[in-house]
Amino acid sequence: MLCLPIDTDGFPLGKGPMVMLVLFLLSTFFIFGRSEEEGEDLEFWIFANTHYEEYQARVPIFEAQNPSVNVRLINFGGTMHDKLLAAMLSNFGAPDLVEVEITSIGRFLKGAIDEIGFVDLRPRLEREGWMDKLVVSRFTPWSYRGRIFGVPHDLHPVVLLYRDDLFKAAGVEMTEVETWDDFIAAGKKATRDLDGDGKIDQYAIVLDRRTESDYFSLLLQQGGGFFDEDGNVIIDSELAIETLEFFTALFNEHEIATPVYGTWHGDPSNFAAMQDSKILSILAPDWYVGILKSQVPQMAGKWKAIGMPSWQPGGRRTTTRGGTMVGITKQCKNPDRAWELLKFTYFDRPGLINRYETTRIIPPLKAAWDAPIFKEPDVYLGGQPLGELFIQLAPDLPARYQNPYWSEAADLLNDAIFAAVTEKQTPREALTELAKKVRTLMAKDMSRWGEQHDLMKP
Amino acid sequence: MKIPTHPNEPRRIIKNWNRQQKIAPYLFIAPFYLLFVVFMGYPLISSLVMSLYEMRGFQSRIFVGFGNFTDLFGDPIFWKSLRNTAYFAIGTLTLQLPIALLLAILLNSKYVKGKNFLRLAFFAPVLVAGVFVAIIFNLVYDQRAGLINQEFVLFGKEIGWLNEENYVMPAVILTGVWQWAGFNMIYFLAGLQGIRQELYEAAAVDGANWWQAFIHVTLPSLRPVIAFVFVVSMIGSLQLFDLPYILTNGGEPADAGSTIVMYLYKNGFQFMRLGYAATIGWVLFFIIAVVSIVQLKLLGIFREE
Repeated sequence: MLCLPIDTDGFPLGKGPMVMLVLFLLSTFFIFGRSEEEGEDLEFWIFANTHYEEYQARVPIFEAQNPSVNVRLINFGGTMHDKLLAAMLSNFGAPDLVEVEITSIGRFLKGAIDEIGFVDLRPRLEREGWMDKLVVSRFTPWSYRGRIFGVPHDLHPVVLLYRDDLFKAAGVEMTEVETWDDFIAAGKKATRDLDGDGKIDQYAIVLDRRTESDYFSLLLQQGGGFFDEDGNVIIDSELAIETLEFFTALFNEHEIATPVYGTWHGDPSNFAAMQDSKILSILAPDWYVGILKSQVPQMAGKWKAIGMPSWQPGGRRTTTRGGTMVGITKQCKNPDRAWELLKFTYFDRPGLINRYETTRIIPPLKAAWDAPIFKEPDVYLGGQPLGELFIQLAPDLPARYQNPYWSEAADLLNDAIFAAVTEKQTPREALTELAKKVRTLMAKDMSRWGEQHDLMKP
Repeated sequence: MKIPTHPNEPRRIIKNWNRQQKIAPYLFIAPFYLLFVVFMGYPLISSLVMSLYEMRGFQSRIFVGFGNFTDLFGDPIFWKSLRNTAYFAIGTLTLQLPIALLLAILLNSKYVKGKNFLRLAFFAPVLVAGVFVAIIFNLVYDQRAGLINQEFVLFGKEIGWLNEENYVMPAVILTGVWQWAGFNMIYFLAGLQGIRQELYEAAAVDGANWWQAFIHVTLPSLRPVIAFVFVVSMIGSLQLFDLPYILTNGGEPADAGSTIVMYLYKNGFQFMRLGYAATIGWVLFFIIAVVSIVQLKLLGIFREE
């Protein structure tokens, strides 16, 4: 018999509803009234499975070194950024640490500089001398108006992966290719109709004309971008227009490029085309090599890599594509403790070497680069030490300046590239119109929001 | 709970009982109203207010009146998304619903064997989550090795279903047909089974052939079901999001796969233009309301009989 110290008969509908109410109140108290001793918890949100697996293996070491700390790793996958946005909007429920992907960071930088939901890490980085220990250009995607909101997880240098056997069969030695002009000459030899039916059977390179990925990589390689360091739109610069003219010419004039099969470079359709020897080369960041290895292991030994062709002899042989940062949110109750975890996961040499072992991602910490693992022959590339090539290219990575308008700009840039490649507009028309749209958008916002939100004001 | 059955029972219990009688109905309906207010009422009013503001960052907002609405009507991507959505809706109504009706008629026929299995087979696709449908059809439309191109390539054309502007929406419509035709078939089947056999017998006595019976008996009898399926399918079509979003990797190329809800999502979550996204939501609401009323009117649902 249930005995309660109050008059249960007087309660509307009797004991049942009253017990439910009591349980509801108790559980509410339990959920919201947790004691402060759990303040040592650190919540760390992740969106990439490979990162999650890496931290799952290494966080227990951190917890053993810091017995009072309990780290909760949560992998939300692709929906993480939306969840983070909701948590920051409601000013409740954000984690202590969070990883953010490079194409998503722009949306978190909107609004007055003091409203941004991440802690400025510049003072800590400078005080402890980390800026010099990492590739400094990799801070630019995570910096805005003088503040640094994240630490780079990676470098993502890009190389040219190519089918050595097929280029050689066409009489081309790819190691002799230095510039894009050399590549076009080589590509014309290698792009061939093998069965004489009038249709090209193998293309020298596969490029994405649906999105900005390849075009923007080429633009960054030359030091260009969508926005400059001060937030000005520069996508209609002569450099950007000439690059798009070059990009479209690879498809339409030289006819050595094929559009990506499927919806992106990682589409099964694209892998099928590679296996059918329809694609002879691809611009590949380090993470993409990891994807290739896992998705088309049967192509092991068929690929080789060189630095990207440069725009002038002796010019830059790489660019950067993709990236992730880790930041400490302003909702974090113990930023010092979060900073310790950040350093453990991002600056720890053995950890970064382990990361390369599992993901083939080159770390931004220069002190890790002399590890023997980076010089090891890569079976997938027929024994070529790919890590060594990436590390040779890493110090020359271009800067990629961040801007709150990046998401809108990238969306419109996708359309402009597609319009130019499909010859609906000339590259000049497409980029001039694009720049005008983005400038109009920014000017309108500026007129509404005024000085407080001045994008160029440091 | 004690129920007073005798006049000698204590007065207190009678008093409590009377009080419970008054309170109980409100307690019973309270969960719905509470949930409605928290999850529908408040967000609705909040989004209406939000549509009159421009929001920037996580805290700042300024009142812009109908500024977001005037911006939206001058936004070419919004119009393109609206066109794509209308394209899908028309494709759904003209392709998916006749197929659903045809399947229902076949399964209602006494000549078809294995009806239970066929019903399950046609209905099964709707049990697959939209995300997985998109993943499956990504492989079906695969340019190199996809099921569809394996056939088309014989005629010398390797179609980039998800890579060429003109093929994107047809690909989405065909996927929608696969997923939803069986679901709508069930409604039609239920409607067909509700038609009295005497009507067909009377039509036969009057000399009606199969087609005439279909036009003059089946279709008029199915009118309420057709109206319901039309309206529900139209609303579903106008709210299209997950299928093209995953299938086309965000609406590309050239926004050929962009829909109104996708554009709403992009503005709200990717561009952080929450006021603008709320405006798109309200415009969509009015479009759905107007289209639904027009449909019901055309189908004669408001007619008094």
